[in-house]
Amino acid sequence: MPQIIDTQVDVELSADGDPQAFIWNRFEHTIIGQPQAVFTRTRWWENDGVPLRIDTELWRVDASRGDEEQHRYDLRRDVDGSWVLALDWG
Amino acid sequence: MSFPHLHVASAYSTHYGVTMPEALAEQTKAQDGTFLAVTDRDGLYGAVKHVRACVDAGVRPGLGADLAVHDDDHLSLGRVVVLAHGNTNGRGYAALCRAVSAAHRTVSQGFGSLPSIARSELAGLAGLRSLTVLLGPASDVGTATGHRDNEDARARLTAWLRAMPAGSVSLEVVCHLSEPGTPGSVTPATRMLALAEHAGVPAVLTNAVRYGTPEEAVTADLADAARTLTPLAELEQPQTNGQAWLKPARAMRQVARMVVDAGLHDDGALELLFRDTERLADRCALDPEADIGLGRPRMPEARIIGVSGDPVAELWKRARAGIDDLYPRPEAGARRGAASAEDAHARLAHEMKTVEHLGFAGYFLTVARVADIIREMGIRIQARGSGVGSVLNYALRTSSVEPLSNGLLWERFLSPERQTLPDIDIDVESARRHDIYRKLFDTFGGDRVSLMSMTNAYRGRGAVRDAGLALGMNHEQVASIAKQMWRFNARDFRRALEEKPELEPLAAEVRESQQLDQLVDLTAKLDRLPRHISVHPCGVILSDATLLDRTPVQASGMGLPMSQFDKHDMDPMGLIKLDILGVRMQSAMAHAVEEHHRLSGESIDLDRIPLDDPATFELIRSTRTLGIFQIESPGQMELVGKLQPEVFNDLTVEISLFRPGPMQNNMPLKYLQARHGEVMPDYLHPRLEPILRETKGVVIFHEQVMRLFDELTGCGLGRADVFRRHLGKPEQLPRIEEYVREMALERGFPPAVIDQVWTVLAGFGSFGFAKAHGAAFALPTYQSAWLKTHHPAVFLAGLLTHAPGMWPKDLIVAEARLLGVPVLGLDVQRSTLDYRVEELGDERRGIRLALPELAGGTAAERARIVRHQPFSSLQDFRDRVRPRRKTFEALARVGALDSFIGYDRARRHELLAHVQSLRGTAVTINDDQLAFEVELPVQGFEGARFDAVTSLELRGRSQTDLELRDLHLAVSGHQMTRFYPLFAELGVTPASELADLPGGTEVLIAGVRRATNTPPMRGGRRVVFVSLDDGTGPVSNVVFFHDAQERIGGPVFQTRHILVRGRTRRSGAKGVSVTGENLWDLTEVARKVDQRRKAEAAARHTDRTIELAAELAAIPVDNVHHLWPLRA
Repeated sequence: MPQIIDTQVDVELSADGDPQAFIWNRFEHTIIGQPQAVFTRTRWWENDGVPLRIDTELWRVDASRGDEEQHRYDLRRDVDGSWVLALDWG
Repeated sequence: MSFPHLHVASAYSTHYGVTMPEALAEQTKAQDGTFLAVTDRDGLYGAVKHVRACVDAGVRPGLGADLAVHDDDHLSLGRVVVLAHGNTNGRGYAALCRAVSAAHRTVSQGFGSLPSIARSELAGLAGLRSLTVLLGPASDVGTATGHRDNEDARARLTAWLRAMPAGSVSLEVVCHLSEPGTPGSVTPATRMLALAEHAGVPAVLTNAVRYGTPEEAVTADLADAARTLTPLAELEQPQTNGQAWLKPARAMRQVARMVVDAGLHDDGALELLFRDTERLADRCALDPEADIGLGRPRMPEARIIGVSGDPVAELWKRARAGIDDLYPRPEAGARRGAASAEDAHARLAHEMKTVEHLGFAGYFLTVARVADIIREMGIRIQARGSGVGSVLNYALRTSSVEPLSNGLLWERFLSPERQTLPDIDIDVESARRHDIYRKLFDTFGGDRVSLMSMTNAYRGRGAVRDAGLALGMNHEQVASIAKQMWRFNARDFRRALEEKPELEPLAAEVRESQQLDQLVDLTAKLDRLPRHISVHPCGVILSDATLLDRTPVQASGMGLPMSQFDKHDMDPMGLIKLDILGVRMQSAMAHAVEEHHRLSGESIDLDRIPLDDPATFELIRSTRTLGIFQIESPGQMELVGKLQPEVFNDLTVEISLFRPGPMQNNMPLKYLQARHGEVMPDYLHPRLEPILRETKGVVIFHEQVMRLFDELTGCGLGRADVFRRHLGKPEQLPRIEEYVREMALERGFPPAVIDQVWTVLAGFGSFGFAKAHGAAFALPTYQSAWLKTHHPAVFLAGLLTHAPGMWPKDLIVAEARLLGVPVLGLDVQRSTLDYRVEELGDERRGIRLALPELAGGTAAERARIVRHQPFSSLQDFRDRVRPRRKTFEALARVGALDSFIGYDRARRHELLAHVQSLRGTAVTINDDQLAFEVELPVQGFEGARFDAVTSLELRGRSQTDLELRDLHLAVSGHQMTRFYPLFAELGVTPASELADLPGGTEVLIAGVRRATNTPPMRGGRRVVFVSLDDGTGPVSNVVFFHDAQERIGGPVFQTRHILVRGRTRRSGAKGVSVTGENLWDLTEVARKVDQRRKAEAAARHTDRTIELAAELAAIPVDNVHHLWPLRA
């Protein structure tokens, strides 16, 4: 079962613009391999106002803290550029 | 690092792409891109704009089209991108044009309703390394890949490779990073890449772009809803996400890495993908000049325009001959002010120097040839635009206004400094325009002629409708909002809601509703986006036999091929465009002349009537200008009244003053003050007086500005025109000012004068009007005024047939009544397809109502009526015309069948009852047979009248009511007559009496709304003009200023029958209007008065008080006019 985290984190990007590490609970989590981004559309007309973007940017990454076992995480990048650690898939 | 985008839809892919080409090119440059292709859907609609934008941005342009393809069995092969190869001397671009035209030909040939090209035809065009075809996710190969059917995908790719020339096929990898399992995810993309590797076909990466930035994805959602006419919530295939934007190189590499990572690929697959993409982009980079022919004019071949030798020599010959024909010989005493042949020859030599220098001889011969063709068809023709300033055009008879005596300049039209292709506009009879087009296609050949298209963009109403549709809003609600979307830009919807008093109820609703709030923003997003293309109302493209290699064509609504390029694309593409504009007034005048000839045998040559007829000017000065070309609007009536034209040139001035620029700059007032001697004309300097004299010191014409520049600086008229055009560009002003000051000082103008003149010039901006335009407009103005003065019946018949003006026909009919020209009712024995004039025996002529006025009648019924006229009996009529029941009854109601009851209106209800009682189908009678002569039952009826069968439908309805119902026209009497007793009771002033009242008189006026105008105003505050017609005289114009608009609200635009309280406002000798203070719905007032009267009668109360008593008490009694003819 994925665990809902929903907390803002700092993400470090590589020169190519891919996330390569994020800091959560003061610990750096290093991303392993090619992270995959997924953009999911919203049914924006059901909400208030007209949005700037019609999709949500999610990055599914495998990362590990130090030598610990790697977990799969969902990182969300919001329109303002801030990152939220959404899910820990375990 | 840059990335070349090869698959991009611009906003010209209507209802699909949403970003304008200029914005895409700019963005490419900002992203360090060096190449950008635009591949619009089904065409090259945005191609020329794209190429020009790329040239401006320093980006290499590519062109292609996103086309549907089918196989030999007409089975769909999906959509592919067809890209033209560059450095092929135009071969690639030509093949692309032909491919697009071929795709559209399928539609006109009846195979399916959407453009699609046969693969075999595409293969033929792609030969000689002209084209590359990209097979992407929307192709049959891509679809099979998406379904994980590798075998099918391979087979389909093999079929493509077999069909197409070697090396012309690439696979297109697209990934929008959508959710796994949906289109646009990494899986199908990585499989497509694998397929390319397996088949040894190059793969390229694109982003199948639909918009420049992610923020525009919302607009693309709207486009999808509009294209499929489906609300967003119900879209079958909405965009999977908002990633189809013009991503910069880094983002594209990110996508590519994810695609490659998601599958098993050869080593170096990533770099190979980018290398092949780059390579294809290099191949598809087009040279704007060598490949597309940008900026190179192409005239029709000499032999096509009937020239065998050197075009220049031929042009000289024809022009000289024309001058000798048209200008008085030196020995003949010329009229004062008229130009001599000597002057004309001198001007011709001057003009020909430029023509030879620019190599435009072929152009002039072509236009003259077209003018000849039109004239040979017996159609009225009148040139318009700056070309009227040319003696050459006059001598070739392309134009019919003499330029020298009117002070028109050649340089306003053409000069070595003005290198864009010249523009000559030709006005013709609107009713014959399509005949002319067909004749031109026949004469020049379909490979040299095409109609021009125009891009229709979203405006307020369309935008709000489509935004409402996308949100799934209820149709009535959207329609009621759309009705209010005028007089402001949809982009400013929110601001308009805040500012405009009549929108306040809507603004309140918007504050309450989340959906309406979204609607406002979405409407603004759609505003100005291209919506669809249609045939331009007047543009015809003439070129040589390579035309179809340079523009794709598709069928227009009228069947003839139409270019996908619009007017902005003509000059860059070197295409000659002729504006052959259908002008209804020309048709109306032709109709008048024809009717006059039919009745009297006399031929009127409108181009030879004297231009100084006193009676004509008398009519114009009286402001009874309804129906006269250009000067019939309320604003024009007022200006004509103030200006009081006396000679032809006054008309030119009048027409030129009534333009937004001059109006905003207060030029009319300045001119009128000087004209009527209220102020001394200011000519600034004696050397400038000859230039400014004709307009009393006010600079109105472009030609005057040019002459001022020339006199001040000696720069020559050609450069002067360049300066004139730059006056509208603030950044150019300092440079021009410096030059003018320096040169003028050198040429002896005192500094104070230079200051003054410069202020005038700088203030002129780009406003004003070319006198050539004004003079060309003034001619039909004068001609129509002349016809109205001397032949009112035939002229009004022309107006009613061709409806050239702004006023409703009902008002034209009212005008006829006032001019003493009887309008005769609809009569199946006499009415024809147009308005005919009948001699009434007492030297008078009447206008017979035309059959098309009957609401609900069909063209077939009308054709049968005209074919079988006259009818011997009702039976004969029924059998030969076979009218539908609705038509039959309507004809009976309005009295069109009265001939069958001896024109005894009292018996019409019996006739109607009989018509209503008829059962069974009409008997079909051959043309050569007589109808059964069965008498109409009522005719032979001899018993008591009240036992006869009658229809109650006519009870209580006046003839006017019936006419308004079935004809929308009140023929027998004015529709306001029924209110006359009320007007008399209220003390309403008739329109005909207004002119006699002093300014500031408080009045009540009333009438039916005929027009609503919000003309441009100095100061920017909106003013609403409402024209009321009460049937007594000319329309009365009511002005509502801002405070009155706020007080009244919506009814200022909506109420139809109106009672207004206001004060008279005098303007000049004949001009009078009313400043409206309040407004009521007349029907409402009538109802209340009636109620009150009944109540009073019941209470035996004799006081003559009414609901409005308080309001009316304020009006001094001596201003109340009881002049209403009371109905018996």
